Amino acid sequence: MKTFKTGGIHPPESKFTENTPVELMPVPKELAISLNQHLGKPAKPVVKAGSEVKKGELIGEADGFISANVHASTSGKVKSVKPHPHPGGHYAMTVFITPDGQDEWAEGLNTDPVDWHGFSKEDIIGKIKNAGIVGMGGAGFPTNVKLAPPPDKKIDTIILNGAECEPFLTADHRLMLESPEEIVEGLNIITSLFGGEARAYIGIESNKKDAIETLTSHASSKGIEVVSLKTKYPQGAEKQLINAITGRTIEPGELPFDKGCLVQNIATAVAVYEAVCKNKPLVDRVVTVSGLEIGKPKNIRALVGTSFRDISLFCGNLKESTNQIISGGPMMGKAVYTLDVPIIKTTSGMLFINNVGIEKARERTCIRCGKCVDVCPQGLAPWLLANVAQLREFDEIQLLGLANCTECGSCTYVCPSKRELVHWIKYAKALVNNRQKRKSA
Amino acid sequence: MISEAFIPAVASLGSVALTLGLIIFYVSKKFHVEEDPMVTILNDTLPGVNCGACGYPSCGQFAEVLVETKDSSMTCPVGGTDLAEKLGDTLGITMAEPKPITAVVLCQGDNDTARETAEYLGIQDCWAATQTYVGPKQCRYSCVGLGSCIAFCDFGAMRLENGLIIIDKDRCTGCEACIPACPTGVIVMQEKKAERYVIACNSHDKGAATKKACDAGCIACQKCVKVCDDDAIVIENFLAKIIQEKCTSCGKCIEVCPTKVNCILLEEDLKEAKQKKAS
Repeated sequence: MKTFKTGGIHPPESKFTENTPVELMPVPKELAISLNQHLGKPAKPVVKAGSEVKKGELIGEADGFISANVHASTSGKVKSVKPHPHPGGHYAMTVFITPDGQDEWAEGLNTDPVDWHGFSKEDIIGKIKNAGIVGMGGAGFPTNVKLAPPPDKKIDTIILNGAECEPFLTADHRLMLESPEEIVEGLNIITSLFGGEARAYIGIESNKKDAIETLTSHASSKGIEVVSLKTKYPQGAEKQLINAITGRTIEPGELPFDKGCLVQNIATAVAVYEAVCKNKPLVDRVVTVSGLEIGKPKNIRALVGTSFRDISLFCGNLKESTNQIISGGPMMGKAVYTLDVPIIKTTSGMLFINNVGIEKARERTCIRCGKCVDVCPQGLAPWLLANVAQLREFDEIQLLGLANCTECGSCTYVCPSKRELVHWIKYAKALVNNRQKRKSA
Repeated sequence: MISEAFIPAVASLGSVALTLGLIIFYVSKKFHVEEDPMVTILNDTLPGVNCGACGYPSCGQFAEVLVETKDSSMTCPVGGTDLAEKLGDTLGITMAEPKPITAVVLCQGDNDTARETAEYLGIQDCWAATQTYVGPKQCRYSCVGLGSCIAFCDFGAMRLENGLIIIDKDRCTGCEACIPACPTGVIVMQEKKAERYVIACNSHDKGAATKKACDAGCIACQKCVKVCDDDAIVIENFLAKIIQEKCTSCGKCIEVCPTKVNCILLEEDLKEAKQKKAS
């Protein structure tokens, strides 16, 4: 079975919801649609308090090259535009919409599927750009930018990422079981952008046997290879996935297209299909609601902008013993402090957790056991990065490869001294950024 | 027995020491650099903390440049007026008097007034805490209250009290070392002057949002603007600001402020001001 070379861990899978079909969540009473749902510059708001919007209407316009459009998730009235907590751990400008209950699409959107084969390359990328599609695996890189690499970079391998290596999360798994046709069509659209020669793969971890079977039966006739990958975290990280499937290594400082590869998430492929064939902007997504502290763990299809509060109520409410709510998976997700946080295009899950029984974070000294070095998929020495960060030696830490850390959390997971290794690395990144900002100012 | 082993050891080590000593002596004479004695004198006069407040990396550098240029506008904020006089006497010029400045924390959200976000278990450092929303306090403009700046203060002028940084204004020399250490930018420099008022709040949220997060925040109610006879208070982006040039320190704004957010910088302690308001 294929897997990546360096490091990796295997935490308990805890995929409670893998057999729960995706449920459609009704439109909530209020939506908070963040204008920063992607990597890069936040979108510029194009609506004001009081404006009427239809479902799928543009409310935030991409501002700059790396930015993405944001659309109204339902029809209604804009209540206000103001900063609001964002699941990524900061504040972002957010458009509040009071739904009118009609959930009515704007004209010409969400039509019956049309055949895409007649569309030109520019048409397809234009449609993807207009639909505001971003990488739905977590990073949120604007898809139209990723699909148009510099002309001197030749893409020969296209990989769909169905690894879903984070424990608990099953959103992509359910999507693979329930919409295999859309995934294959989406992948075909992406492949067509790079001519006939590009090879297409779908990488799925071996703990999702049913998904591998379903997709193999749909994809094999179309020249797409479904690759079964070893269940190992972080199999779904871009660089690790490329390494597992093609054997190529993305060196520090390189991007996947430098090695002729392009990786897209399963959910992104569905969104691409819907944008190109149905003219549907990205306004909803599948989210896994799980953890031991939620009444009914579910996979739901929720509108972008639905608050954690509405979703927890829809899923049988959280128990009183909940003391941590995480946006995303347990390894890379962020704890949120309020249920008012909305979901965004990249929120693949939310977890309700009680960690009282777990020993409270109390850092002890590093005992130099080297476990973090063994598991680091990027081949770094996390203990050293954390120590140097603690000493505030920010010139040295950059030489140690601070920028190559993907913050996957494997090192913190295995550390027997409970060292907050990833937190120290994030801390160093924040201070290095701040120093550069001060220097350039 | 003993002396047999002793004599050659002393003799050999002694001769090595003597030779090396002679070499050092010769080198120090041969390559002697003529140093302006004035620089040494000035360097001894300066505080010697190398804080960088003057704009030079060290006190020695400051002394060198001062001797070279005799620029009377160069100031050492740490030494203050006394030092300026001493330096002037030594060099025979009249030095400019440094404007005494002090750091001020524009926040009064301590553990009693500011609302918590959640129990924060991560690394006890302001920069680390602000990577997860805003840290322990709900207001994202506030003093985070984990004391990362304290380590940057060379003068022991900062302390953490009830989740808020307190600055000892007698000790603070205005070297600005704490400013880049603060992730929320809540520390600013103010002229040290008797009876100076500032608005001790940094929140640009709307009134209702500020009030929700903290009892001691400026809610931009305009009361102080109306009561001020000198037009010294303006509201900018939902936050009152005192224009220091116009302020006559009459104290009227303190009396009307519903959240007691104004504070007197020097003469009176903040707590006294609050008591005054309460009584």
